[in-house]
Amino acid sequence: MKATVKQDPAATGRPPGFVDLLPGQAGRRRDLEQTMLARFEAWGYRLIETPAVELLSTVETGMQPAALQRLFKMADTDGRMLAMVGERTVPVARAVAGQLRQAPLPLRLCYLGPTFEGHPAAGRARQGFQAGAELVGAAGPVADAEVVALAVDTLTRCGVTDFQVEVGHVGFFGGIMGRLEEDQRELVLDALAGRDLVELEAALAQTDLRAAEQELLLRFPALRGDASILEAAGSLVDNPESAAAIAELGEVHRLLEAHGAGGRVNLDLGAVRDFDYYSGVIFEVFAPGIGSPLAAGGRYDGLLERFGYPQPATGVVMFLERVQALASGVSLEPQQAPVLVGHRGDPADAIRAAAELRRDGIVAVVEAVAAEEAGLRARAIEQGSRRALLCGPDGRTEITP
Amino acid sequence: MITMAIPTGYLLPGALAVLRTAGLADLQVEDLGRRLVVDVNSQLRLITVRPQDVPVYVDHGSADLGIVGKDALWETERVHYELVDLAFGACRLVMAVPEKSPIGPLENWPPFLRAATKYTAASRRFFTSRAQDVELIKLYGSVELGPLTGLADCVVDLTATGNTLRANHLREVVEVGRSTARLIANQVSLRTSGPAVQELVSRMRTAAQTAPA
Repeated sequence: MKATVKQDPAATGRPPGFVDLLPGQAGRRRDLEQTMLARFEAWGYRLIETPAVELLSTVETGMQPAALQRLFKMADTDGRMLAMVGERTVPVARAVAGQLRQAPLPLRLCYLGPTFEGHPAAGRARQGFQAGAELVGAAGPVADAEVVALAVDTLTRCGVTDFQVEVGHVGFFGGIMGRLEEDQRELVLDALAGRDLVELEAALAQTDLRAAEQELLLRFPALRGDASILEAAGSLVDNPESAAAIAELGEVHRLLEAHGAGGRVNLDLGAVRDFDYYSGVIFEVFAPGIGSPLAAGGRYDGLLERFGYPQPATGVVMFLERVQALASGVSLEPQQAPVLVGHRGDPADAIRAAAELRRDGIVAVVEAVAAEEAGLRARAIEQGSRRALLCGPDGRTEITP
Repeated sequence: MITMAIPTGYLLPGALAVLRTAGLADLQVEDLGRRLVVDVNSQLRLITVRPQDVPVYVDHGSADLGIVGKDALWETERVHYELVDLAFGACRLVMAVPEKSPIGPLENWPPFLRAATKYTAASRRFFTSRAQDVELIKLYGSVELGPLTGLADCVVDLTATGNTLRANHLREVVEVGRSTARLIANQVSLRTSGPAVQELVSRMRTAAQTAPA
């Protein structure tokens, strides 16, 4: 039945930055979610659900100020400030430090749900969908390699074929920058956070870093490749923190090969992100043609301590919109068009027949209005059904549209 | 194939000059005409877009690299990498007031200022850093008219030579920022396109250091 009243854009509009997933897309999204969760669970990660709204003080404890500014905020009835969640690692950390504090460690948790931003970066939607896994209470390369391998395995199962993982370590830069004065370090970190290598060069020129170290920072992102770059990088730095980072990356790489994920991995000593959040091995997953990472993650040993529960932790988050754009062949959504079940006068005849079909796993839809063969055939063609069943007091007639 | 977004307008000749010096593309402004897409060879495609749109194409990954004035980057929240100062197209963002205004570089600022500007983000950062209360009036053209018509106490605008300011009886008070053309890159292209992008970037870097500004 087609609407005869003209569509009213004001009545059917949405707030900017929010989209509907229509039939087909929504089913594919559901399949993608199930595939991801099934993989997380296969690795022993158990599902946790945190709310869409948190106390602002909770998210402030964990998030970057710039990300905080982008959030939807509102006041609770008692005046306390609330925020819609922009990511879910911090809420999961809040739950771990709270109700899950007594749980035996290490704790493997996974989550999935919408995320919101009121003032997103240009061109981004205000609602996103993120799935992630957190490994809490485990330090060291075995845990670091596990979450990277989990990301590779999950994306592969989702049917993403062309992607690569860039694995780095914040300690490599951290070691170099540990020698800087506080104000110099701030300038350098600002430039790095802004991805501004022009500013970085100017900031470095004021420091007394050795030329080799400046070159390392500036040659970014050239400092990437297979395990052979670790040796080259090792010869250029002379501080223990950078050396430890290089050693750890080497071990993570070796373990990723054992996971069978070695072919996907590039080591990237230039990978710098969110310094005061990440504390060790970090990674991002890229695919050609998608301008932002499909997934990202790393070690964030300081976060749980801010909730009063000092524990090492690492994790990964996947951005479902971007993964869905590349995920092929995961659709579990019924491809089969429904059988249209019609009746000659009494809908009960059709309802009984449809119930039998569904018991046999066949998708069946009851046609409410009585029809004869020609009418039901026409409806079946309109609905895209390849089969229809006309039910009357004297039996059922199979109709092929 | 690497796609590079280059800006139409006053930066275009300089952008083409850097590409020429780098040995990447030998094109004159006339060669482009009205073409928006130029396949230089099987490795490089140039797209010409409005200067403010360059970071949009790059951030979304529709272009791997872009040449753009720093002034256009001030106003965007960046997800791209700013790689090289290409050293041409120099201009300054300045705060200027009518010649007779008592406002000086450091003194006699009223507690509350009205400033007309196209560069609201850069202006806001500047005034915030000086703890100056300000109402920013966003204009899209002829910002100099703001103080002359009583719309604003001052302007924050780009100047290359200072001629426009002088012609409108405005006096520079303080420099807010400096801009030159920059080479920017999409965060993913930088990693997934492998050595081809790196090679191109390093040739541009060398060209920027050798070319006359």
